[in-house]
Amino acid sequence: MTHTARLDRATAATLAAAALMAAAVALIFFYVPSDVDQGYSQRIFYFHVPIALTTYTLFAWGAVNAARYLWTGREDLDLKSYVPMHLGVIFGSLTLVTGSIWAHISWGTWWDWGSRELNTFLIIFLFYCAYFMLRFSVEPGARRSRYSAVYALLGVGLIPLSVLAVRIAQDALHPVVFRSNGVNMDGSMFFTFCVALAAMLSLALSMYLVEMRGKRLDERLAQLRRLAREAA
Amino acid sequence: MSARALRALVRKDLLVELRGREVVPSMAVFVGAAFVLFRFGLGGTDLAGGTRAATGMLWVAIVFTALVGLSRSFAHEREGRTWDGLLAAPVDRALFWAARTCSTFLFLAAVQAVALPAFWLFFLQEHAGPSYPVLIAAVLLADVGIACLGSLLAGLASSLRAREVLLPALYLPFSIPLVLTAVRVTTDTIPPQTGGFDTLGRLGFLALYDTVFALLGWALFEYVVED
Amino acid sequence: MRSPEAIVCAGLGRRFGERDALAGLDLAVQVGETVLVTGPNGAGKTTLLRILATVLRPSFGRVAVAGHELPARAADVRREVGYAGHDPLAYPDLTASENLELYAALYAVPEARVAEELDRVGLDGRRGDRAAELSRGMLQRLALARVGLHRPSIVLLDEPTAGLDADGRDVLRRFLAEPGRTVVVATHEPEWFGSLGGRVVAMTSGRLAA
Repeated sequence: MTHTARLDRATAATLAAAALMAAAVALIFFYVPSDVDQGYSQRIFYFHVPIALTTYTLFAWGAVNAARYLWTGREDLDLKSYVPMHLGVIFGSLTLVTGSIWAHISWGTWWDWGSRELNTFLIIFLFYCAYFMLRFSVEPGARRSRYSAVYALLGVGLIPLSVLAVRIAQDALHPVVFRSNGVNMDGSMFFTFCVALAAMLSLALSMYLVEMRGKRLDERLAQLRRLAREAA
Repeated sequence: MSARALRALVRKDLLVELRGREVVPSMAVFVGAAFVLFRFGLGGTDLAGGTRAATGMLWVAIVFTALVGLSRSFAHEREGRTWDGLLAAPVDRALFWAARTCSTFLFLAAVQAVALPAFWLFFLQEHAGPSYPVLIAAVLLADVGIACLGSLLAGLASSLRAREVLLPALYLPFSIPLVLTAVRVTTDTIPPQTGGFDTLGRLGFLALYDTVFALLGWALFEYVVED
Repeated sequence: MRSPEAIVCAGLGRRFGERDALAGLDLAVQVGETVLVTGPNGAGKTTLLRILATVLRPSFGRVAVAGHELPARAADVRREVGYAGHDPLAYPDLTASENLELYAALYAVPEARVAEELDRVGLDGRRGDRAAELSRGMLQRLALARVGLHRPSIVLLDEPTAGLDADGRDVLRRFLAEPGRTVVVATHEPEWFGSLGGRVVAMTSGRLAA
């Protein structure tokens, strides 16, 4: 019963993501006017920023479930913390790639060490790669869940500190030349941005639901194998 | 929390180090060798990059030196299997973290007492002396931050098979904001540059960094040691 | 309210990876009773003692020590329990008395108890020697001194006779004979403890042997 309900939820989220993504792509390429300063290529903003925000949402979601895991010890929360982190790294890689493309288009360099957003994101991205290393070097079980949760929560401390450190380290050293564009958005731009954000979030949600289902099946299979071995 | 228990645990770490001499001498040799290596890397006669490069290198060396020391944290508890004795005792688990943080801090400060003068000798001897209060404040604040987070992560890594490679990977992302800030403060202590109000703000940031990881270390350590 | 049982385990289990070191153990130990746990290597004796000593969390089932449920009330249990593990749990670079001083501080007992306990186990002459220089039997005595420091009402000993000489065995016998103490011993030589009137409990593969 619950199984079919989950199936429906994942399918619904996937359908919503597909519809929103199609709408977002259509809006970005055919509806929204070109940026006055940066021209046509500025449209990557509608991919880059929603992907970055989705990444942060996924990490926050993972951290909340990590805290809940340590608090309650409920085993399912471990997966609910791991899967968003895992997706967060995928979206994070996309953020770095799209950010780098955007930097190349508007500033002429693939990576700008003066950009606060990119640099902060890089630190956070490194942190989540380390989370994966940790996760894969511990055998599955309560210990792995605990260690992953502890490390995920340390990230909650790291993110604001990185934002702050990048800011105060640069103020005197390197005046910020580039500010992220699209701060002044008109109505059509803001609408496109919102649709793109909704599309990315629902894409993340559907990926989450599908992956959770896969992991649960894996677990059930492992359990069955154990039972079969014990019976034999 | 019991001050007596904390004192006893730190005393234990110091006595073990005093008799075994496992950590501090290795850290000192490591940091010295790193200075020589960087000096040649940045150019033997002419120092490329000037004081900026030198202070950046100083902090990279400090972080790696700390990692050398941290990799032996809890080694006795693991190898001598004394964890069971400590964990059976009626004290808050966070106390073990606090004690390890204190001893890591002391080891780091001891190594720096030698390493910092050596650094000035190797890289900045033609410069006038730094602003000592600011430099010492920056170094000590950074040490507290390294020790707070480092002893938590060392506890986490110590029970894993891949601990030697894992600890640097786990720790280094966290050192970036610390190094970013510490390098700026240190550069500003060297005349004629002065950071003024900015320097104060950056010291404040280091203090904030310490506070955040002290709280997280205190709160999370019990999940690291219990099995 | 305190239950009359010092230790209650019901369906107690502990999993290590894919393996159940303890697989649903039922055991009750009365206050003041001595229980000798026997069984082949890998039967789960050490795992059981480590769970009772609060250094290992149970994976499933119920366990209560001194009337307190584990792991929720572990902090209350720790004061009541003295645990000597398979390893001596001493720092080799510290002297015998420095090792005990550390534990005296952790258990918040007066430092004077250190000398008393070293006396009692016959180590008063070796108090300034590093633990690394002590023999296996001496380390066992040091462990007994450590366990006795805070005068626990429940004592858990893992193979306490291993490497112990005749004098050491006398020390152990006197230690166990102290009245009012609940004792759980994991041992391969239950016959040696026979004179103490202990109940023998046999374990195999994580359960009580039928």
